[in-house]
Amino acid sequence: MDFRLTEEQVSLRESIIRFARSELSHDIRSFETNGSFPWDAWRKCAEMQIMALPFPERYGGCGADFLSTVHAMQALGYACRDAGLVHAIGTQILCGLQILLFGGEEIKDKYLPLICRGEKVFAQAITEPASGSDALSMATRAERQGESYVINGSKIFISNGPIADAVIVFAVTNSEKKALGGISCCIVEKGTPGFKQCKPFEKMGLTTLLNGELVFENCMIPLERMLGKEGQGGIIFSESMEWERTLLPAAHIGTMERVCETSVKYVKERSAFGKSIGSYQSVANKIADMKMNIELGKLIVWKAAMLKGQGKRASLESSVCKLFVSESLKKACLDAVQVHGGYGYMTEYEIERDLRDSIASTIYSGTTEMQQNIISRLMGL
Amino acid sequence: MSVNEMIKQFISSELIPEGSEVPLTDTDHLIDSGIIDSFGIMSLLGFLEEKFSVQISGDDLIPENFESIATISALILEKNGYQLEV
Repeated sequence: MDFRLTEEQVSLRESIIRFARSELSHDIRSFETNGSFPWDAWRKCAEMQIMALPFPERYGGCGADFLSTVHAMQALGYACRDAGLVHAIGTQILCGLQILLFGGEEIKDKYLPLICRGEKVFAQAITEPASGSDALSMATRAERQGESYVINGSKIFISNGPIADAVIVFAVTNSEKKALGGISCCIVEKGTPGFKQCKPFEKMGLTTLLNGELVFENCMIPLERMLGKEGQGGIIFSESMEWERTLLPAAHIGTMERVCETSVKYVKERSAFGKSIGSYQSVANKIADMKMNIELGKLIVWKAAMLKGQGKRASLESSVCKLFVSESLKKACLDAVQVHGGYGYMTEYEIERDLRDSIASTIYSGTTEMQQNIISRLMGL
Repeated sequence: MSVNEMIKQFISSELIPEGSEVPLTDTDHLIDSGIIDSFGIMSLLGFLEEKFSVQISGDDLIPENFESIATISALILEKNGYQLEV
């Protein structure tokens, strides 16, 4: 077992860190105040081909393996302080992976180049007002009418939803069947009659990531927009979650590395009672916990990424990864605010934003409690 | 033990809640009856891929392939022609 990054992975990591530090230094606070999306930063990330990383070259991708993509996301989470932007990019990549894994050639030819170039923004719509953790108990319907599907229903909290040019929508196509056979996926493009993108919600954190409600009222799409086969949606959901619960935590590991570095620097410089505060065990223990969780988190993220990259199942590993890393991120950010004292609570130090951003990580992509359910079920309990 | 029997044994022991006595046949509908749900499919896929050394992805991941022990077994045999006699 070799945990060292390859030369290419080291080079990729370093280039993304350099890029993020020089090009993604926008004033996040002004975007938070305006509630707007950092389009310039998005375009720069697209030019840097971050969104193109895991896709085959024939679609305009870089052909990187999934583990390298995960290293790239970790580097981005480390060097880019805008976690909302990082999440938006992660969402774009994950939509592309769904299309790559389950789309027919026509769909892949049409959409993957747009995803790779960042030319169009993509979103996936699963959550509904009345179904969060129990995602597959959705009410949105896609009814077959001749050569079309007619979609009715609504989705909520959808990341990238308000600005998406195309949305992968999960909907019930056969209400007589259980979720596994009765749900399908289809792609709805912006501007389709009956498709309404509502304004973004105001949130506690991740403010540059725009989340909103999507409404479908007799929204008609052609049969060719079906992603995968009819009835495959439940399985696509389960498979997609393995990728998602690996990729997003990779960025969180990066954030934890940055938060830890910032905290170490501060507790070495800050003195109290004649000594640096880092020399007090009550402070040092918090830093040690951060480091421990970063190292353990890397192992499970990389393991899950390696399995997915090899085409293997990683249901258990990705759930452990999601649960452990998101809880660790939240704890690290809370501890970082604590060791920074009053300064940590001030917006100027930007630690409080990391904390606000971290809270959602234990909620989206399946709450901590859902990951515990999945893990225990997979253990036969 | 045949492929069908190995699959049946896994489903009976891992996916059917303890205490219930569901007599499984090779053609019973596992999805419609709720024996395989969104959690169960992950568990089943993990078992199949490890036990029979197959990769199940893309077009193979359709509900029809997991409707019954017979269809699951057919998928495994199609993937690698696996047959085990113990």
